[in-house]
Amino acid sequence: MKGVLPALLAIAVAIPLAAAELRLPPFSRQVLPNGLTLEVMQRKGIPLVEIDIAVKGGVESDPADQPGLAEVTGELLRKGTTSRDSDEFSKDLDALGGTYRIRADAQSTLLQSEFLSKDFGAGLALIADAVLHATFPESEVKKLLAQQSDKAKATKDDPAEAIEPYAHAFFFGESHPYGRVMSEISIAHMNRDSIANYHKRMYSGRNLAIAVVGDIDAQNARAEVERAFDSAPAGEPYQWTEPIRLSRTPRARLLLVDKPAATQTYFFIAQPGIDAKSSDRVAVSLVNTLFGGRFTSMLNEELRVKSGLTYGARNIIDEDRLQGMNSISTFTKTDSTGEAVALSLQVLKDLNEHGLKADQLASAKAYEQGVTPREMLETPDQLAKLLLRLEMLSFGPDEVNTLFQRMDAVSIAEANTVARKYFETSGLTFIFIGDAKKIRAQVAKFAPEIKEIDISAPGFGGI
Amino acid sequence: MRLALLLALLWPGISLARIGDSVQTSTLKNGMKILVQEDHTVPAVALYFFYRVGSRDERPGITGISHFFEHMMFNGSQHFGPGEFDRQMEVHGGNNNAYTTKDVTVYTDWFPPDTLDLMMRMESDRMAHLVFQPKIVESERGVVYSERRLRVDNDNLGALSEEVEAAAIIAHPYHWPVVGWASDIEAWTMQDLETYYKQGYAPNNCIMVVTGDVRTDRVFQLAKQYFEAIPSHATFGEPRTVEPKQEGERVVRIRKEAELPLLMLAFHMPPTKSPEYPAIEVLETILATGESSRLYSRLVNHEQAALNAQVFDEPSLDPFLLSIVIEPRAGVAVDHVRTLVVSELEKIKASPVPETELRKAKNQWLAAHYRELKSNAGRANMLGTYEIFYGDYRKLYEEPAEVEKVTAADIQRVARQILTPENRAVGILIPQSKRTEEARK
Repeated sequence: MKGVLPALLAIAVAIPLAAAELRLPPFSRQVLPNGLTLEVMQRKGIPLVEIDIAVKGGVESDPADQPGLAEVTGELLRKGTTSRDSDEFSKDLDALGGTYRIRADAQSTLLQSEFLSKDFGAGLALIADAVLHATFPESEVKKLLAQQSDKAKATKDDPAEAIEPYAHAFFFGESHPYGRVMSEISIAHMNRDSIANYHKRMYSGRNLAIAVVGDIDAQNARAEVERAFDSAPAGEPYQWTEPIRLSRTPRARLLLVDKPAATQTYFFIAQPGIDAKSSDRVAVSLVNTLFGGRFTSMLNEELRVKSGLTYGARNIIDEDRLQGMNSISTFTKTDSTGEAVALSLQVLKDLNEHGLKADQLASAKAYEQGVTPREMLETPDQLAKLLLRLEMLSFGPDEVNTLFQRMDAVSIAEANTVARKYFETSGLTFIFIGDAKKIRAQVAKFAPEIKEIDISAPGFGGI
Repeated sequence: MRLALLLALLWPGISLARIGDSVQTSTLKNGMKILVQEDHTVPAVALYFFYRVGSRDERPGITGISHFFEHMMFNGSQHFGPGEFDRQMEVHGGNNNAYTTKDVTVYTDWFPPDTLDLMMRMESDRMAHLVFQPKIVESERGVVYSERRLRVDNDNLGALSEEVEAAAIIAHPYHWPVVGWASDIEAWTMQDLETYYKQGYAPNNCIMVVTGDVRTDRVFQLAKQYFEAIPSHATFGEPRTVEPKQEGERVVRIRKEAELPLLMLAFHMPPTKSPEYPAIEVLETILATGESSRLYSRLVNHEQAALNAQVFDEPSLDPFLLSIVIEPRAGVAVDHVRTLVVSELEKIKASPVPETELRKAKNQWLAAHYRELKSNAGRANMLGTYEIFYGDYRKLYEEPAEVEKVTAADIQRVARQILTPENRAVGILIPQSKRTEEARK
């Protein structure tokens, strides 16, 4: 579905939403001569417009010794362009009351911005200036790298946040792009050249997609985006990483990050999950809803509702281009660490051995079909993000439009097959942040050996 | 209609028909007020219950009980057993949450349109007939304690702001944290819970807000059916204690295992309904919204002394605090950062804000205001918040005009009133390594 085609490729048909039916609102999709993909969706109502831009690559495109390069490059776009210095850019953005946010995910760098509809043209010009004409002044690069380095360290002051990079680094390992996480160590390897080169290589028409959603005239918006971005070079298309199969380790592995005096232990129990295009994805997400995806899930019911061990327990299924983690995530007071892990494993075992019943599966379907419209299609920012996700993963509108039918088609037999296949009880990877002195003995029984690191040691256990 | 005209003058060409004038209201015989705003964009409904029950209504010994109640409201009522509220909701495609502040407890339900009847029935049952089971109270106590560990003990800003607020407010019930002191969490009794529930959870102490894919007449009909029979009764009185005027700067230092320090300055300010509030909001925007704001630009971009600068307040019925939070960079002395902050505050008091900067802040405020109204959930929350804290939900649509009227002289006046040394409490979190301490022992 990608290609250099100047004409409109798809205009979805407007069908009003009804219960158990999910439809993307109508939008246009076109590919400009330079390869840039543009999607425009008009949503009447609040006078705001979302302008989002995705650059292919994201985390998987970071050089092995510079995890975080995609994100840092995104952050630096506004710090000096051919026509504005950093201060001028901020003043112009703020004068419009605009927002500007950068986030690199597994497969893209996402720039999310929002303006009042009346300021669409001015906002677009500003965003185009950043994306196409960033100059990366040396002084700004140095400043931002130093800030990012401090931010990476500050993450450790919030263990609920810090556990994620530790878990990624330990679970995937340094040889996998998802195992290389941004830290003060990787930031020290970045410089103006690596950033400017990354920008030159990746920020070209064939790697860019733009979604404009909001209270705007669609035809005008298309014309304005074309004008603003037609100068972008076509460039070379980014070559996606080949699939990497995650193998289950024969024995459990365990990382203990020592945070002295922590009164609560944060932990992940991870195993290989799925990739975004897995044919099991709908069934896995329904099983996950029941296992750890909603308040009355099996995990939350046991660890919070029945036992009061935690404020919340959940299970997270990554859905990215490459196969990702499937991980239980929760926290509990230091003294009950061992008990909470054992209980989590018991819930996992129950799912794996006893499977689900038909009424549970029906409940998961009803839940997902109830919450999805408002979590996916209600606001312009949700819609823009969704359009770009579909684009980055090469999905067509049917990924959304047939979702409920595909959910309905998941049988109890299929659900139980994926429950056994993806929710295994052996070869697990454990990651803990807590007071090692007090929890070492409690967690020792879950793996043959413990790798222990000090939270104040630089980085997150990887590069 | 008046509002639509005003805003049309500010932003020619923008239609606001959808968000203005479309709220319908009704009040039941027992005093419960209902606000409804239809929006058929997606097949979803937001149903919010704002109870005027907050930590402001507590006393020493039962601090945190309002928040504990927020949890207990999901643990069983007469016709829906423990956990049934969540189970019923999720099996019908809905989910929920709740939050507690110093002034209110808000229950937030989101669900498909055909679940409206069930939701009203369950909400009415827990308003009138909550059931307390000793075993569940104990397990929920563990959950709340875990939440305190998450938000305070293991969160540096949570830990610091709890200390700063307690230092700034010494007499009024805003002194204690919403989550409650640890010893109170351990000590609430069944009797405390039952008494508190009977007092606070009355229909006349509640506002119901419905936004989304509903028919207004149907909402009013169901509200009558399920809520009107619940008797009204007297609830908490207003707190008697008026916070005495602060007579000099208060400083709190806490030491914690941390990578980076934190600095917080909190200034007494008037309540949300004060006529000065629009000017205060613009002042806050000028100080710290966006990278061109005064504090961000000076501390983060130019002096490179901080990672971030935030200025905020929260809606409050009584006078509370305007807070400034700064994350200093590694290796920068906190006292230096504090000097920089104070010098920026002195500047804004000394000379009027230039017109372009005022215009910029008003645009930022307006855009942010609109962002809050994008979803059913956002509109429900804003309508309830304005009804309670501004005294009238219509202020939600009138406030842009109030903000537009703010002048440079207004900004200077409120800055001079609020941002003074004797009016502030300063909190500093000093990183400390337990390892070093242990090695020393």
